[in-house]
Amino acid sequence: MQKPIIRIDQVDVEYAAEGNATRRVLNGINLEIGGGEFISIVGQTGCGKSTLLRLILGEQRPTRGRVLVNGRERSQPDRLCGYVPQKYSLFSDKTVLDNLTFGPDVAEFGAFPMLWPGRRKRMREFRGEALQFLKQMGLDESDARKYPHELSGGMQQRVAIAQALIMKPPILLMDEAFSALDPGTRRGMQKLIKKLWRDSGTTIVFVTHNTREAVWLGTRVIALGGASLFERTVSHIDFDADEDHIQFVIRDIETQTQADRNVRIEREESQKRRLAEAILPS
Amino acid sequence: MSLLKLHATPNRTTAWLLSWLLFAGGVTSYFYVAEQRHKDNPDDRVMPTATQMIKAFQDATLKPAEEDNADDDAAPAPLFTRVRSSMLWKDTIATGRRFLISIALLFPAVLLGLHMAMFPYIGAFFLRFIQFFDKIVALSLLPILFIAFGIDELSKIMLIVIGVTPTIILDTFNLSKGVPREQIVKAFTLGAADFAVTYRIVFKQILPRVLNSIRLNLKAVMLFLFAGEMIASTDGLAYRIALLRRHMGMDTIIPYVLWVALLLFLVDLTMHAFNRKLHPWFQE
Repeated sequence: MQKPIIRIDQVDVEYAAEGNATRRVLNGINLEIGGGEFISIVGQTGCGKSTLLRLILGEQRPTRGRVLVNGRERSQPDRLCGYVPQKYSLFSDKTVLDNLTFGPDVAEFGAFPMLWPGRRKRMREFRGEALQFLKQMGLDESDARKYPHELSGGMQQRVAIAQALIMKPPILLMDEAFSALDPGTRRGMQKLIKKLWRDSGTTIVFVTHNTREAVWLGTRVIALGGASLFERTVSHIDFDADEDHIQFVIRDIETQTQADRNVRIEREESQKRRLAEAILPS
Repeated sequence: MSLLKLHATPNRTTAWLLSWLLFAGGVTSYFYVAEQRHKDNPDDRVMPTATQMIKAFQDATLKPAEEDNADDDAAPAPLFTRVRSSMLWKDTIATGRRFLISIALLFPAVLLGLHMAMFPYIGAFFLRFIQFFDKIVALSLLPILFIAFGIDELSKIMLIVIGVTPTIILDTFNLSKGVPREQIVKAFTLGAADFAVTYRIVFKQILPRVLNSIRLNLKAVMLFLFAGEMIASTDGLAYRIALLRRHMGMDTIIPYVLWVALLLFLVDLTMHAFNRKLHPWFQE
């Protein structure tokens, strides 16, 4: 593994539950992600995979522990991490072209772009670059004038990926980015993101609940369950990989995830029993 | 009966005819009753006939107001000059000016609501106070406003500000809070700073809804404006209606009421068209 670009150090995340109780979603998580890795984070609903992504993004702070990106603790989302969510991935008030040029434009001209005299010339350059990206994503130039609601789900996510990559972020975080797509489009998008990762060398952290997708895409699969974490390295798996081997890795991860889930359920049941014994008169 | 089926689909002509039926029924009933009343009592002033209303409306649009002391013996002026010095024109301009000032004052309210939603310290500072302020019945403040600001324009404008701005502020606040968090996070990851996110993402996304909210509040703006004009004014559409009420001038009051409704309808229509033109991406 290359020098770590992301370091997660003894991280706990707790949410307020009913009454004064708290619910621990992540428990003492340690994780290092090297530059240029493609990490898949997999786990069942509510296991904390999106929370882990938000920690790296800087959108959420851990209850305990530290999250470092490029050696600096995260305080808020910034240009270090590109972001492609499942929903609302594009700005609905902007055309495809404006969505793509928004990043370069706002990074250079800020909140009041109309005050800058040289903006028009720069915007022409940004548009040229955006159209190149659009082609790279397999979209047509005629799509550039469309609004997001005029595009299919797959096209929207292609534009969202291009929008993030145009800023050349060292890290790209994708939160269930393909979950809402039909199987055919999803497969196409998986191939596209794998190609983009190979070409750009960007570190990708990909959250999914689909184990097969996680195994296909990631060089490492991080499985979350029972508020803890375990890893499987799957760098040799690709679309053309031996199906038996893929099935073996998937079964292995799912068994471990299920085992972790059982441990969590048992722990919660035991907590409830202890609480009931303490409250109810003997 | 197929007319009352949930899946009934009236054709365009039927739907168009149905939409005008109540208007036609209302107008016909009014003029029928008015004619009957005038047969019984030719001096009836409660329900003027169409002829009386047309005559009164012509007078309002072509003759100056009584208080302007026009010289009846003077040579007749050109039509445009007569309309511009007419009672209706004078009242419309007076009310329109107050109305536009009030609408312009809603812009700072929108900005305040936006900043309250985006910047937690500003929100914490203003929210509780605005929520309380919103519950105050603006008309109950009318005497206080007249005492504090006098009976000039300021008190009437303040009445509208107090009556409508808290609603607009809270509405903008809620709309801004409703912008998906993903969009804000995404903007940050693309290099936007706090103010760029506020103005270039959130404000742009809520603007069509804010304009719709202002459209919905146009009637409230007009209501407060009319209350102010009726009580303390020497010009304006509401002042005229209040004045004519004393003389039972229903032949002018009814056209005035319809004129106000038409103006408000046109303002609403213009804002709607403007909103659609400005925000083609917005799907209502």
